[in-house]
Amino acid sequence: MGDNLLFQAIMIGVVYIIAYMNVYVGSPMIDRPIIVGTLTGLVLGDLKTGITVGAAMELAFLGAVPIGASNPPDMISGTIIGTAFVILSGQEVGMAVALGIPVASLMSIVTNLNMMFVYTEVAHMCDRAAEEGNAHKIEVLFNVAHFATAFILALIVGAGFYFGLPVIEKLLEYVPEFILTGMDVVAGMLPAIGCAMLARMLLRKELSPYLLIGFLLVVYLGMPTFGVALVGLCVAALVFFNSGKKEVAADVDDNEF
Amino acid sequence: MSTTTNSKNDAYREGSLLTKSDMRKVLLRSCCQDTDWNYERQQNLPACYTMIPVLKRLYKDDRKEMAAALKRHLEFMACTPHIVSLLYGICAAMEEEHKKNKDFDPSIISSVKVSLMGPMAGIGDAFFWGTWLTIATGIGVSFAQQGSLLGPVLFLLIFNVPAVIARIYCLGLGYDNGVKFFANMSNSNIIEKVTKSASILGLMVVGAMAASMISVSIPLEVGVDGAMSSIQSYIDQIMPGFLSLAVFGLMYWLLGKKIKTTTILIILIIVSCIGTYFGVLG
Repeated sequence: MGDNLLFQAIMIGVVYIIAYMNVYVGSPMIDRPIIVGTLTGLVLGDLKTGITVGAAMELAFLGAVPIGASNPPDMISGTIIGTAFVILSGQEVGMAVALGIPVASLMSIVTNLNMMFVYTEVAHMCDRAAEEGNAHKIEVLFNVAHFATAFILALIVGAGFYFGLPVIEKLLEYVPEFILTGMDVVAGMLPAIGCAMLARMLLRKELSPYLLIGFLLVVYLGMPTFGVALVGLCVAALVFFNSGKKEVAADVDDNEF
Repeated sequence: MSTTTNSKNDAYREGSLLTKSDMRKVLLRSCCQDTDWNYERQQNLPACYTMIPVLKRLYKDDRKEMAAALKRHLEFMACTPHIVSLLYGICAAMEEEHKKNKDFDPSIISSVKVSLMGPMAGIGDAFFWGTWLTIATGIGVSFAQQGSLLGPVLFLLIFNVPAVIARIYCLGLGYDNGVKFFANMSNSNIIEKVTKSASILGLMVVGAMAASMISVSIPLEVGVDGAMSSIQSYIDQIMPGFLSLAVFGLMYWLLGKKIKTTTILIILIIVSCIGTYFGVLG
């Protein structure tokens, strides 16, 4: 069993590195929980649970996007540990979220310190290389900094998995039932934080009816999200083509019903 | 890596000093835009790294020019990764102009870069991080919640097909049109129109996600004996999903009060545990 756990810890590290490579390969969102959860499920031999937990974690981290100087919690480590725990212990999905969020916050201290000191120092080293006109040195520094960081962070998460998970499992035996159910309730409400963060990013007062339209289409007509996205595309196109003229957006919406 | 033979059909565009392979390298390296992100100058390292193939072609034999060019691309940089190739296309064209025409002051390159990255990031962030990621997530999660592999697969496809097309297309667009393109764009207020339409699409999906993915219920039963009914069933008669909307509104309001998400989360955990203990929430 111990050997098995070690092997799993190594695979967990590999998943971390793959997800961390996101920023190196065009930010294709392979560091999002929905993907990281799936990968974790894959390496731990329970793909279906991995995907389900990934979806729950994705909802918890909805509004966490790296725009400007805001750096979200380290979703990668949170998702990996949360998903791994649910798969290995057979707990409810809510536990993944309850465990994953504090892990992500803890780990983000490490990644933030790295961005404050290590990467900044690398930038200064690059300044000196630029002074000499040495482009090659900048290329090397750039790559070494990235890959070394990926490796070290993966090591931390892998070690956290190897040593931490058995401890958490033990601790959980003493936690009363209502707290565990409470965690599931939290997981159900968490998407509200993410949705609200997204809305804060997009919403202006005059656009609030569109948010409600999306909501009402689902609760009254039972439309799937994909369908709402398609309707949204039509509405957005109508607004785009009509906004040269006056504000007629409000009339356009009535046609939806 | 740096073969100087620059035959005619190798040139990126007719009369370019840069080759197709240089620009291919720029395109590939533009994928690293968020790598080595630091608090001092944010994306300056990837910016310089991306421009190096261009600089090597132009200033290989001129150490002084090379040093100056490297330094100007190590300045502060912040832009949306998925469309940043537009900016590099423009920068490549300007560096080439500087090489061909010594009167072209290189400080223009820096000032153009600084003035364009803001508006570009404005559109790019609203579109890719705000709207498009939301849509991909909404659709992906709705499948993934049932454990279907379609969830992650659709998520990646929906997000990346437009993102990759945009990245490839933007490089040539920037190189060919340079600054002109953006000047035209800001005149026709197309930026504002695109941002508004994208926000509308994003908001409708956020609304749909709020409705389908937030789950709260109050199973507590009330009424006189024989006619007990849960509070939830009364609420559903008035408006289905009302509680989800209420929780969403509450979060929106709390975030507006600049309360940290971690604090909200802790409150949520405490309320939920107390609520479950007394059977109010479930």
